[in-house]
Amino acid sequence: MPGWQKLYSELKDKNFEIVSVAQDTGGVKDAGPWITAAKPEFTALIDTEHLVTRLYDMVNVPTAVWINEQGRIVRSNEVAYADNRYKGVHGIDATPYISGLRDWVANGERSPFALSALELKQRLTPQQPEHAQAAAEFALAEYLTHAGFGADAIPHYKEAQRLNPDSWNFKRQAWALSNAERDYGTSFQKEVQKLNGKPYYAPRKLPEVKQQ
Amino acid sequence: MLMVCATFVCMMTSVTSSAAERGRTIIYDGVVTEVVAPPAPLPAPNSADLWVTLSDLTRATRFEVKPKGVCRDELCFPISKARRSAFFITRSPVTWFNLSEFARLVRQPTAYDEKHRVWYFGPRAAVQNGYLASLEAPAFTLPDINGKMHSLADFRGKKVLLVTWASW
Repeated sequence: MPGWQKLYSELKDKNFEIVSVAQDTGGVKDAGPWITAAKPEFTALIDTEHLVTRLYDMVNVPTAVWINEQGRIVRSNEVAYADNRYKGVHGIDATPYISGLRDWVANGERSPFALSALELKQRLTPQQPEHAQAAAEFALAEYLTHAGFGADAIPHYKEAQRLNPDSWNFKRQAWALSNAERDYGTSFQKEVQKLNGKPYYAPRKLPEVKQQ
Repeated sequence: MLMVCATFVCMMTSVTSSAAERGRTIIYDGVVTEVVAPPAPLPAPNSADLWVTLSDLTRATRFEVKPKGVCRDELCFPISKARRSAFFITRSPVTWFNLSEFARLVRQPTAYDEKHRVWYFGPRAAVQNGYLASLEAPAFTLPDINGKMHSLADFRGKKVLLVTWASW
């Protein structure tokens, strides 16, 4: 969040907004302290039902979408870090993406980073039926969590994870609400080790642009 | 059902707990509605299928049974004569509608919790994937830390970086 604030200060006078959305079933209790500490000037929303994840068919955080002045998507779901402060953890270099974002803010549709409708339609595909089913199980689990039946929610979180094994959101949120080792027989560290070198984030496809 | 309430704590004691007497909860378009259960189980393709009265159907989903089909506003899903018995059962004087069968017809994902008698109905596939043709960013309205609501549409006319994160 502090990284996004710095970028926002730089770009906010260029008809540009950041809308950040916490995917946190625990709501203000979990996401609130981070927002309070970062004091963002941009819009910081809290999504206790992972609605944005479902609407945009996302599988991880942070994931970003670029939306133009007409409300149309111009870049779809990609890993988005504001800077390199956690590069040592995840290995993602933020620089090319943020350079691209600056280019788009300056040049709009003429930016090579703004994707054509054809490119977007190749990247964005209909949600798979199993993933729709996973989202339904996850939503039911969240309802039970919010109703105070956390233990009864676990089988539904597990079913969501089984139906959409690519969703780190479904895994990590459920583990965070529980004792992952006790209730799921795993942990984030163990699951990352299972990747065995495969990337945690889907690789980005950015155009080759000479940095100026 | 006997309900014992202290100042802030309510304890529900199940005196008799046949399925027919227990409440049923539907979550449809994100709206939670309590509905009545049939007095005895009705035959269905799947034991988890949800039968609702026609008035509960409309209360919970805003869909209504009309001569041309099951309709909401301009949207109508016709039900062929041959398939009517899969959707409707009359136990005089009440007609029951199989909402789970309807979900299969309209390609809507569902999830069910037996213990709490909760049925969740997700968006129809056509709704979920509707943005792919127009590439219009799916709309949402969510609260900030103070509970103030913000819509994506509030930012129309600006470039927006929509970015998710999480505390976990």
